[in-house]
Amino acid sequence: MTDSPRIGAASGPARKQRLEFDMDLLVGYILLIGVLLSLALVLAALIWKWILTRTVDFDYQLSGMNFIQLLTSELRLAATGALRPRLLLTLGILMLMLTPFLRVLVSMAYFLVGLRNWKYTLFTAFVLVTLIYSLCLR
Amino acid sequence: MISFQLLFPISILAGFVGAMAGMGGGVVIIPVLTLLGVDIKHAIAISILSVIATSSGSASAYVRDHITNLKVGMFLEMFTIVGALAGAKITLAISPRPLYIVFGLVLLSSWLALLFTRHAMWHTGAQDSFTRWLELEGSYPDQALGETVYYKARNAYFGAPLMFGAGVIAGLLGIGAGAVKVLIHDLVMGLPPKVSTTTSNMIIGVTALAGASVYLVAGLIRPQLAAPVILGIALGAFLGTRLLVRMTNQAVRRFFLFILLILAVEMLIRGFRGAL
Repeated sequence: MTDSPRIGAASGPARKQRLEFDMDLLVGYILLIGVLLSLALVLAALIWKWILTRTVDFDYQLSGMNFIQLLTSELRLAATGALRPRLLLTLGILMLMLTPFLRVLVSMAYFLVGLRNWKYTLFTAFVLVTLIYSLCLR
Repeated sequence: MISFQLLFPISILAGFVGAMAGMGGGVVIIPVLTLLGVDIKHAIAISILSVIATSSGSASAYVRDHITNLKVGMFLEMFTIVGALAGAKITLAISPRPLYIVFGLVLLSSWLALLFTRHAMWHTGAQDSFTRWLELEGSYPDQALGETVYYKARNAYFGAPLMFGAGVIAGLLGIGAGAVKVLIHDLVMGLPPKVSTTTSNMIIGVTALAGASVYLVAGLIRPQLAAPVILGIALGAFLGTRLLVRMTNQAVRRFFLFILLILAVEMLIRGFRGAL
């Protein structure tokens, strides 16, 4: 347990405190909804596949495409109305990958607009740019 | 090709065992998948995807409870994601054998850390000027104490390069490497145990994303494996975590730690023997 922590009522400007707490809630819900949505997409893909073919085994590959290429090609397919179980499964995987990315994006907006903390806006921007680079890898 | 009917229950079990032992599902599913005949690089790629799901899922609850420190997380993520990119690239380049050996060694040392770390008395220490400049401090409502605990981190200049190393391990082996990250937060940066565990959880998700992107482009993520593993591990981890908070019996936890030990030794033997 703690040895000699400073314990007492929360201090600091009330507005900043409230903003931080709102931020925690927002970040928490982004993570929760992102993961649940992704799991729901994977589950829906499996159920749909089973209804169509009485099997839940998918035999396609995701080769040689990065996140952005995969997303655009799948969305293009979806736009043509070619909805298939495998489209939902791929979207589920992509949604999962998008979840931490969205969390970083919202954190940057928070440091920039909410706190006007340039230091952390810069740090978060670095993380964001590195992630964008990794999602666009070839 | 392994069927869904086999892989789904195995993944639930992996997520459950991982959570009960205090680690993620990745350290369990990778050895099991390789035993079922899946190539280790494909196993790593699938595992790192499931790591995003389990870490983000549990992080969401901790963040909403105001225990996670966003600044500590953001600062250290700069190092872990670069490490994860490098680690995943190394995995693509090397032969499977060293991966088995490194996996066994990392699992074994995490196991030792989990077994022997008694939760040392946490205390606030003197903060160095660099860590103060980074504003790495905070407070959280401790429900057990019924009070708000204030803390100041330290040694960020030392913690950052170590976190790069933790990122390399995560990307290389497709695991969260949470035990390594928590050790760095606890011992080097002096964060309170609750803050270090929950903040590490948040870092793990972003780090896993960087690694997963490398494996996606390399074509190592097979949807056939991804569907049962992601769903199964998420479900198993959810059940395990629920049970763990209610469990007071240390013997049960030791049993699950023992399973991890067997997996570590088994991976080491396969790595050294070369019988993959």
